[in-house]
Amino acid sequence: MPPSAPAPTNPALAGIAPTDRHLLRALAQNFGLVLSWAVLVLAILIYCAIYYGQLGTLPGNFEITSTVNNTMPLVLSGLGQTIVILTRGLDLSVGGIIDLTNALAALYLGDTLQSAILGSIAILGVGALLGFVNGALVAFGRLQPIVVTIATLSIYQGLAIMILPQPGGTIPPEFSALLVNSGAPWALLYCVAFGLLWMMLRRSRLGVSIYAVGNDPAAATANGISLIRTRLAAYVLSGVASAGAGLFLAASSTAGDATTGNGYTLTSIVAVVLGGVSLFGGRGSGIGAIAGALLTTMIVNILFFAQIDPLYQSFYEGLFLVLAVVLTMAVGRLVKRRRR
Amino acid sequence: MTDPIPVVPPAAPAAPPPPRPFLGLDAERRHILYAVLGAILVFAVGAAVRPGFASPASISAVLLVASFVGLVAAGQTFVILIGGIDLSIPSVLNAAAILLVTSTLGDDSRAVYGITLTLAMGAGLGLLNGVGIAILGVPAVIMTLAMNGIVEGLMLGLSGGLTCQACASYAPPVVQAAVHGSLLGVPLAIYIWVGIIVIVSIVLSFTTFGRRTYAIGNNAVASHLAGINVPLTTILLYALSGLFAALAGILLVGFGGQASLEMGTPYLFESIAAAVVGGVSILGGRGHYLGAAAGAVSLVALATVLQTMNMPEYGRDILYGVVVIALLLAYGREQEGA
Amino acid sequence: MIDPTPAAAPNSSGPAIEGIDLVKAFGGVVALGGASFSAYPGEVHALVGENGAGKSTLIKLLGGRLRPDSGVVKYYGQPVQLHSPQDTRRLGAATVFQELTQFPGMTIAENLLIGREPRGALGLIDRRRMTAEAAAILAGMGLHDIDPGELVEDVSLAQRQIVEIVRAVLAEPKILFLDEPTSSLVEREVEWLFGMVRKLRAEGTSVIFTSHRWREVISIADRITVFRNAREVGTFTTISEDDAVSLMAGRKVSAIYPTLPPKPAGDAALAVEGLSGNGLTDISLTLGKGEILGVGGLAGHGHRELFFTLFGALKPSAGRILVSGKPVRLRSPRDAIHAGPGIALVPEDRKTEGLLLPMSVKINLTLSVLRRISWLGLIRGRDEQARTRAMAESLDVRPPDPGRIVGTLSGGNQQKVLIGRWLLAESGILLFYDVTRGVDVATKHEIYALINRLANEGRSILLYSSDAEELAHLAHRVLVLREGRIAAELHPPMTSEAIVSSAVRDADAA
Repeated sequence: MPPSAPAPTNPALAGIAPTDRHLLRALAQNFGLVLSWAVLVLAILIYCAIYYGQLGTLPGNFEITSTVNNTMPLVLSGLGQTIVILTRGLDLSVGGIIDLTNALAALYLGDTLQSAILGSIAILGVGALLGFVNGALVAFGRLQPIVVTIATLSIYQGLAIMILPQPGGTIPPEFSALLVNSGAPWALLYCVAFGLLWMMLRRSRLGVSIYAVGNDPAAATANGISLIRTRLAAYVLSGVASAGAGLFLAASSTAGDATTGNGYTLTSIVAVVLGGVSLFGGRGSGIGAIAGALLTTMIVNILFFAQIDPLYQSFYEGLFLVLAVVLTMAVGRLVKRRRR
Repeated sequence: MTDPIPVVPPAAPAAPPPPRPFLGLDAERRHILYAVLGAILVFAVGAAVRPGFASPASISAVLLVASFVGLVAAGQTFVILIGGIDLSIPSVLNAAAILLVTSTLGDDSRAVYGITLTLAMGAGLGLLNGVGIAILGVPAVIMTLAMNGIVEGLMLGLSGGLTCQACASYAPPVVQAAVHGSLLGVPLAIYIWVGIIVIVSIVLSFTTFGRRTYAIGNNAVASHLAGINVPLTTILLYALSGLFAALAGILLVGFGGQASLEMGTPYLFESIAAAVVGGVSILGGRGHYLGAAAGAVSLVALATVLQTMNMPEYGRDILYGVVVIALLLAYGREQEGA
Repeated sequence: MIDPTPAAAPNSSGPAIEGIDLVKAFGGVVALGGASFSAYPGEVHALVGENGAGKSTLIKLLGGRLRPDSGVVKYYGQPVQLHSPQDTRRLGAATVFQELTQFPGMTIAENLLIGREPRGALGLIDRRRMTAEAAAILAGMGLHDIDPGELVEDVSLAQRQIVEIVRAVLAEPKILFLDEPTSSLVEREVEWLFGMVRKLRAEGTSVIFTSHRWREVISIADRITVFRNAREVGTFTTISEDDAVSLMAGRKVSAIYPTLPPKPAGDAALAVEGLSGNGLTDISLTLGKGEILGVGGLAGHGHRELFFTLFGALKPSAGRILVSGKPVRLRSPRDAIHAGPGIALVPEDRKTEGLLLPMSVKINLTLSVLRRISWLGLIRGRDEQARTRAMAESLDVRPPDPGRIVGTLSGGNQQKVLIGRWLLAESGILLFYDVTRGVDVATKHEIYALINRLANEGRSILLYSSDAEELAHLAHRVLVLREGRIAAELHPPMTSEAIVSSAVRDADAA
């Protein structure tokens, strides 16, 4: 007898066609992701409305381009942080890795596009190494991620200042144009590319392992997944992503600065949480983190164009963060209850 | 294969021998011992490198700075013991400093009012953290991070970026004296800290509140099912953390005279590092403030030694991180990881 | 007298799996004291015995979940050292234990096919094909109402258990270990499982399983090994239930369980009217002073929710709870502890829900009576020490040292500490949830005696046990829960058979 679609047990779902039911279930299973993109769209609309109210036109090429370009480092560090948080870890050294790679970029990217690209690859390798140190201490040393990465944050920040005590160095303009072209929001293509890379990771064995380890480490071991290798890989990937963020930051400015990355440690966590990823591990999507990063920048833009006193900026950001999390948790509980 | 069926039930199994103690101390006390030994070691190394480092004046200076870290670490220890964390202390500390100077305007007659108001603010902000975490269910990292932003924004906004007229006021002289003055050659602030150490230690070790704290940190579900009011205790602990951050802000502005921006920033990671170095487990349920206090002294002493060796700040940062990791690896063998 | 048909080796080739003189002890308590066992290809072998007799320990040693203190495990005649689940798998064995190895936030399809997901372009997992493949697998096994697109945390315990079994069978094992596989399955699902087991047997797989349910055991097992006191005491191809129970107990049934005190007629200490919510529907019951009321049924059918609701740890959506005749609103366990004579709960999993394992016996015992042992918030150390030592000694906790870390005690002693907490609190209404699970036999009998004594003193006890035999003999009467409702109320003389059949009857078959 051919398998038939199972009858819905929830009377609320009776009378709804199977494909619609599957869509509803997909929404329910991924509500964090869906919610984050919905809020992002809402924020964009509000931004456009405020912008129009202030200046009489809709945001143009310049605004869109600079917004996207400014968000790229957060997109990357958010993706890296997502991977680590999914394994029930945390990477507080993100800021330090960005500082250090930014400083290296300012000093060693050279003058030509070729040298810059080669240098970039090397710098990504450095990021991997820095992440490897974190991962080794967590996976082999079995130390708690929060304290390990606080310590490595300090080390990496120190190294950054050591090699670039004052802002300086040079970034070849062709490199900047490649990454954060100021003519048009080409960087959105990078966002799409990172999104695709994420989806590839999700569908790879490593991706499955990451979710498994975050869901239940004991069950993961019972299923033959190596906790050590998975955790190590997660921190290495986070290191590479943060290094990429450092490169984007370098491309956005004409010189390097060894302290420019410090704010990204905590902001990357904000982007991840706004993206619907659970801090308890095992649930959430990098695509959500991308939305979370864009949303974070949108909030700043909205505050700016609504002519909120910039001194109060962190107040609104903090308030928004708490409300967003409370809202997400409330929606999540509602969704779970309706499906019972 | 049939054996005779006994009528008498089998004897109950014998008890296994008790585990061998190490130096007669359990793990928690051992960590405190290590932290204290570590502090002494740092002073010894410092004295070797820079003669005069272990002089009473020098030790006293280190202890004074350590007392500020130690105060913040007290609050941080309370919340780490239940498996939480307080990322809002930088701005709470800073806001407290600003509130003290602007409410007292350097006037001793308003000192009591100013101090009470400031401490109440700190406790109140901590209370809000606790409510968000215990009742709304917001993860501690997010709640306290958001609170940090909220307080920072309010502080900057209301003071106009610290450009308001009252903002340049000095701390009341009585507060300044409390920090700078000395009794028997020891700065008063250190007496205050020692008093705090005694009180906090008694609370943790000998009171029902301390017992509940350790219980929740060990197993919040079991504590709840044993009738412990987990939300209330959580809220109180975060209120205490805010209170201590505010107290540190008061003493710091008494030390420096005036308030400035970014006063609290270095204390966040320092307070966490002091607790961890002192044997407080970041997972909760284990550790004691005595260890955190010793940890604060060790870390400040280390930073001071490096400074006197004319090591640039970045070198200190690097060594700091390396030392913390080394200590964690040394403790790590006794702590489980999942 | 026992008239067993002792079993000779079913076929000429060697055993698929053997255990020789296996010894395993936990915290000084011997769980298995030199037991030997063997099973052959194409054989279904059941392990039976009381809780704590050693059958679960043996199956975990054979399946690689635990390592023996001494003795040898042999697969196909070769001694093996099993260090990880990988080792077990590589030897062609699969295990289904009570602790499920599933990922709650992932779908059933992902859980089933983990490690062998179908790949598409670029070697990436094809999720749509994965769900379809999972659906085909489930359908191929006759499971049409499990939806592979559901998250594991969104489906019932029974479905999760079935998924765990499917996963084990998918590995095409030559040896299959099942520890209490039917604890949450209704009749139809048990039939499905046995159909699966028969098919595996025909294909030459050895199936070793443990069970409490006699009817199931004799319907499917080729050989039955009885355990008592941490050893095997006999292997049979046929044996009557009475003989088996005598063998399991080592003495007449009437000597295991204490004589029930007569139920005092009188006021209800606890009454429940129309309680609903959290999967429960319209539960009403009364519990008198000095009464032991048993609650039985399959795992996952609402017992946990009932106990938690009565303790104030879950909020009901409807209904009333009355303590000593007065309606109460239990908003938290604190309310329950202070309601009337006091309600106490000894929960299912003492390690995660009951005890603070790294802390001392003293701290664990006084956790609910902190106010009583303190003065203005300061703990009275000597008072605490004296009271806890007295309690530990009266319960015969070994060793009776209040400073001993609870995590180092054996399961039985840990359970005593947990019960001791509520005795210190002088609670009058005791909710005992599977209080003899994972407890050695000697301690178990002590707990039976204790329950009896408490009832004699006038305390009221609500007792849930996964062992229907226990309920049948310990309780004054038994309520059977099925799918959140009371399906039956049984009065003495009660049999475990009656309890089980009320529980497993399908909802459709009235």
